Amino acid sequence: MIIISPYAQKLRTNKENPKNYPYWEQLVQELQKTIHVVQIGVEGEKQLVPDFRKNLPIPALRELLWQCKTWIGVDSFFQHLAWDEGVPGIVLWGPSDPLIFGHPENINLLKDRSCLVENQFIWWEATEHSNDRFVKPKEILEHLKE
Amino acid sequence: MSKVLCSVATRGRYFTTLPLVLNAIINQSKPVDKLIVYDDNDEPQDMRKEFLYQHFFQMLDIKGIAWEWQYADKKGQHHIHQRANLAGFDWVWRVDDDAVPEPNVLEELYRWIDMWPDLGAVGSHIWTPPHIPNTAGITGRIDNIDSEPNIQWGKFNVAQEVDHLHCSFLYRAGVTDYNLGLSRVAHREETLFTFQLQQKGYSILVVPNAITWHMKNPDGGIRSETRKEMYEHDEQIFRNILQYRDRTIVVLNCGLGDHIVFSRILPSIPNAEVFSCYPEVVPGRSIAEAVQLFGDLDPWNVYKKMDQWKWKDSLEKAYRKMYL
Repeated sequence: MIIISPYAQKLRTNKENPKNYPYWEQLVQELQKTIHVVQIGVEGEKQLVPDFRKNLPIPALRELLWQCKTWIGVDSFFQHLAWDEGVPGIVLWGPSDPLIFGHPENINLLKDRSCLVENQFIWWEATEHSNDRFVKPKEILEHLKE
Repeated sequence: MSKVLCSVATRGRYFTTLPLVLNAIINQSKPVDKLIVYDDNDEPQDMRKEFLYQHFFQMLDIKGIAWEWQYADKKGQHHIHQRANLAGFDWVWRVDDDAVPEPNVLEELYRWIDMWPDLGAVGSHIWTPPHIPNTAGITGRIDNIDSEPNIQWGKFNVAQEVDHLHCSFLYRAGVTDYNLGLSRVAHREETLFTFQLQQKGYSILVVPNAITWHMKNPDGGIRSETRKEMYEHDEQIFRNILQYRDRTIVVLNCGLGDHIVFSRILPSIPNAEVFSCYPEVVPGRSIAEAVQLFGDLDPWNVYKKMDQWKWKDSLEKAYRKMYL
């Protein structure tokens, strides 16, 4: 089983969070060919796989982490939780800096440092979402093979 | 060489004591690296049109002293001081708009920077004519703040470590914050600020031989508010901060992930008093309580701090820098 945590916190402006990975559908399609995928998240988020576990409390998320082979997420609380639990995974980075907000225990996939926003400490509402900031699913799948 | 910014917050004193103050700053034996006048007047004027000020600006230019006249945002002098505090200088010499320093003041204060490596702030005599109280035996300790006059008001001949300073002094910039939760009168703002510097491990000194004449002016002034509630509000924040002085106050007004990262360093923080958004991750009291107790939570905003520090390292290390 593999966990996906596809979305960062919803913004107050209702705009798409710029940290959200844009190619989940393609990625999930490939993943599901070989492994059971569990999506975690909260009510209102788009369902990507049949097994979507919403609003799990933190102890349940910690338990789930120990059942998975690995996990894939974006820069959200889940990557910190998994780090705290000692379960490494893959984090898909866009505008935020993995050297500041990430953990070296994970595989941190950043397309290029030029994709990072200059000011890392402003509200994310001020940053526009852009697909161009992110790696393509193929690269993620290659890392999964390792 | 440490760079010194001189900041003057002014309101209602264009043609009374402010010119005396500016003249005194221009004529310091140790020139400041920059002068910024923060104009908090209700109806600010372009002082370049005024004969007297034209001369001041020319004198500054001729002496090679950088200067700026900034219009402030009418929130009180603590907001102004915080702007100066974060203006990128090593030290800030704050001078009130009715406090006229003698020509040697900055030179006398500045020389303590090299003599006292952990210096946080240094002040000297602030004399208010006609009465100069006898301050022999005054401790300058925060516990005695209700029972003794401020040591700077009187005569003394030797340097002394104290807990807090008053009115005008030279301080190490960017180490601690002014409390922006105070009301517009900013009652106790400099006491809180210098005491917090001391709480961070820096020495606060009063030193002799540098006199600033406090020409207390009933008209104008950055604190020209009379509402009793404002003073009471600020006094309560001051008392609350004193009450918690032996605790390390932790305020996590941030996201769930930040709480998780922070939780790793919590065991290393001595005597922590925690206020938390996610008590299921980091147990603590509510953020509303923290606001009520301390006024402004910005000093605990790790994102603002990282921005201020131009941070490039990890979030966990930023928390360590903040709290350990």
